Amino acid sequence: MARPGDDPARAVGRWLERHAVSTLGVATALVLAVVFYYPVLTVFADAIRVGGAWTLEVVREVLTDPFYFGVLAPLFGGDFGAVAEVAAESPLGLFGFTAYQAFLSTVASVLLGLPGAYVLSRYEFPGRRTVRSLTILPFVMPSIMVAIGFVAFFGTNGPLNDLLAVFGLGPVNLLFTLEAIVVAHAFYNAPLVARVTTAAWESVDARMVETARSLGANPWRAFRDVLAPQLLPAVLTGALLTFVFTFMSFPIVLALGGFQLATVEVWVYSLVQELEYAEAATLAVAETAVSLALTYAYLRYEARQSDAGRAANPPPRKRLLPESFSPVAALERAGVVAYALVVVVVFVGPVVSMVAESVTGPNGLTLRYYQFLVQRQAEGASFQTKPGVAVRNSLVFGAATLLVALPMGVTISVLTTRGGRGRRLADALAMAPLAVSGVVVGLGMLRGLVFGVELLGHRVQVTGPVAIALAHAVAAYPFVVRNVAPLLGGVDRSVVESARALGATRVRALLDVELPLVASGVAAGAAFAFAISIGEFDSTVILATGSSSYTMPVAVERYIGNRTLGPATAMGTVLLAVTSVSFVVVDRLGGRWEA
Amino acid sequence: MRRRTVLKHGATATLVGLAGCTGGEGGQETTTDETTTDTGMRTTTEETTAETTTEESLSGTLKVATYSSFVDAPSSSPGAWLKNEFEKRHPDVTVEWKTPENELNYYVQRATQGVDVDADVYVGLNVDHLIRIDEKLGEKRLFAPMADQLSNYGHVKEGLKFDPKRRAIPYDTGYISLVYDENEIQQAPETFQDLLKDRYEGKLIVQNAKTAATGRAFLLWTVNTLGEDQYLDYWTKLEQNGIKILGSWSDAYTAYENGEAPMVVSYSTDQVYANRQDKDLSKHQVGFLNDQGYANPEGMAKFADTDNPELAAAFMDFLLSKQAQQKIAQLNVQFPATDWAPLSAEFQKYAKTPENPVTFTYEELQGNVDDWVDAWARQIAGGK
Repeated sequence: MARPGDDPARAVGRWLERHAVSTLGVATALVLAVVFYYPVLTVFADAIRVGGAWTLEVVREVLTDPFYFGVLAPLFGGDFGAVAEVAAESPLGLFGFTAYQAFLSTVASVLLGLPGAYVLSRYEFPGRRTVRSLTILPFVMPSIMVAIGFVAFFGTNGPLNDLLAVFGLGPVNLLFTLEAIVVAHAFYNAPLVARVTTAAWESVDARMVETARSLGANPWRAFRDVLAPQLLPAVLTGALLTFVFTFMSFPIVLALGGFQLATVEVWVYSLVQELEYAEAATLAVAETAVSLALTYAYLRYEARQSDAGRAANPPPRKRLLPESFSPVAALERAGVVAYALVVVVVFVGPVVSMVAESVTGPNGLTLRYYQFLVQRQAEGASFQTKPGVAVRNSLVFGAATLLVALPMGVTISVLTTRGGRGRRLADALAMAPLAVSGVVVGLGMLRGLVFGVELLGHRVQVTGPVAIALAHAVAAYPFVVRNVAPLLGGVDRSVVESARALGATRVRALLDVELPLVASGVAAGAAFAFAISIGEFDSTVILATGSSSYTMPVAVERYIGNRTLGPATAMGTVLLAVTSVSFVVVDRLGGRWEA
Repeated sequence: MRRRTVLKHGATATLVGLAGCTGGEGGQETTTDETTTDTGMRTTTEETTAETTTEESLSGTLKVATYSSFVDAPSSSPGAWLKNEFEKRHPDVTVEWKTPENELNYYVQRATQGVDVDADVYVGLNVDHLIRIDEKLGEKRLFAPMADQLSNYGHVKEGLKFDPKRRAIPYDTGYISLVYDENEIQQAPETFQDLLKDRYEGKLIVQNAKTAATGRAFLLWTVNTLGEDQYLDYWTKLEQNGIKILGSWSDAYTAYENGEAPMVVSYSTDQVYANRQDKDLSKHQVGFLNDQGYANPEGMAKFADTDNPELAAAFMDFLLSKQAQQKIAQLNVQFPATDWAPLSAEFQKYAKTPENPVTFTYEELQGNVDDWVDAWARQIAGGK
């Protein structure tokens, strides 16, 4: 490529710049193949390869088992006569029940998340940016901490019942019911819904609303016809992710619902514990098929939405205290206050209860659990878990994940928003890390990466910090894509084409023109990527085997002692503090080039 | 005072241990014999001779795999003490603890995949593990028989030996029992049938038998006592009486401590720990049903393909020594598995033993345990 007299280094630089997107595309595909597809397919192969022979026997058995599929089982088996009998015995089956609780959890998360998005994007109040940063916090809280907080707060003798008793109400017994699972899932996912919707709301085009209003539309009509279509893709993204997550939920179900409310994932987990891989793999494939089908359907919908190009031009924010009094404004503020109370009960209550647990011993207030952390840091043996190392590892992996996941996510966003045949399918495959359960990914990693693969007489193994960062990046980049791609699809093509016509390379146009236009999405994606890395558990423990690469959630789990949760809750509080600070910092840094 | 005693014993044991090596050259394996620890008297001459011999006899790195709370519990765990003490006895030996997340399954998977096991000893086996290994691995051996090479094996209590092939050697045991709050339960249930009475409605928390060892032990206890044909009916009635089935022992115990129910399935050593934590013992009463408790011995075994068989044997023998047995009991809050470790005053006072310990043997469980647990799980799960 170099012309005579050209500086070779600059020539290489120019070549790289010209081919940056495709190079990144190949690198992304490679990372996915090694860290995700190969391991997961090894596990899935167990479904049809039993004892060294190929067979569909296990798959057939699982599909026709009414315990798993309820009334669908006789239909799968072609035994239509048995439908009525099964419908009377177990109509839903384990899959049906799992989908039912995921549906309820999704509805609850959307109902709880949307008002939050409205308040955060439409109101200006002190601390708004900080609250917005902290909406991502539940996402990183280890489920064991959430369970402890919920059990403590909503429990029979918990603060909620004390509060209700003051008003002569209660006691309510929420725990170990379907309601408890749904509320805990909303705790995790409503902030997710709020966050993606806030990002979309902040990039709506207010001029279109004004135009509609000036053409005589009332506020409700302007909202329904102009604003809602701009927000719907984000709301549906949040709802879809919530459904997929809660469909595959298991630690929360085990801890708060009891085994009577077991989900498919609970079952897969126990089958894996019993080394029943064929049955576990079959269930996991069925589970993944449901999630992938939903993802594919959503992507088709999203593609139809992002045709109208628009520039971000959000309406100005309102103040919490209205400038002039009107009944409508007062009513709206009353609604905000009521919502704030719900937020306190569902979000603040369990978190504060968990923190309170860390400073409460059998005889009242104590700092001994924190003393334990300090002592362990100072004197712990090499095979023990030190809190300082966990904090450092979490932050390093988080930063490394950002470095890998952002380019991967942006690359996939660019490739998939630029068309081509079969693109939705490619997009769905690139989204697959969201749709595969943690148990399966963990097991696959163990067999694929940790044990290694025999290649030309050598065993090639991937473990240690690099593998952990790559695994985190694979789990995280779909969030970057889901935050960036819809906005990127909405960027006015003519702006990019002008830049290209003026001589900018593809990557220059991306960096200088497109990314600044979708900065809020990139920042949101970065926050998610960081959060996923901080909160990730399954692949971290597996890949950290025999090394000192444990993270904060791993330390929390290891500090759960024989008959005491004190040290674990103290470590959980440290996790909470470290991550809160880092999210506020990440969001502020992201916000600087957002402005 | 107590600390000083421990230190003194520790120092003495070192000398005795080393001396044992001197005298052990004619024996089968070099092992540490410390029957005389309690006398606390040794001369320095033995120490010097001993040191030179030891360096020749045992050296290298011993990789010991276990579950993580055995080495890394925040409260107390035997791991650090065992490592330090063994290394003191064998100055050229390094003990390396390994705690893979999937515990024993990690090694079973390695063996299935034909990957090197990369550990010498596993600590923390129970009878279900053995049955699963034998069913899944078939001809491939994970562990090798060991008992004959251990000089302290004779002290292991007969009733606790759970492996007919003598691979797993018990090192401690616990009894599954009820733990209850006597302020809420005026009259403790005495039989399994009692638990079905109205007065206990909604009062018991048990663990998931599929995933928690305590839950599985409680289920097996019902099968043992009520019979294979009756236990599922019994569980239907238990469910109708509002039992709560939570995931892990710690989920269940947390819920119990938060007052979600006044009874929980746990260990009969509960008061030992509650007392150490200055808890109100009226909330930690131990109750046995039908005067029984389900015994759950924990064992250790040598990996079949270890390169360090002698070191492995020395370490396992050390775990059965009088001193280590006392220490494990105290730090792991479980009963010793041998007949020669005197219980401390604390243990004698607070740890309860059932009149009739029950348990299933390997042969009784083999071919049955999966079916029992699976039938139970299918009856309970699925949000009906």
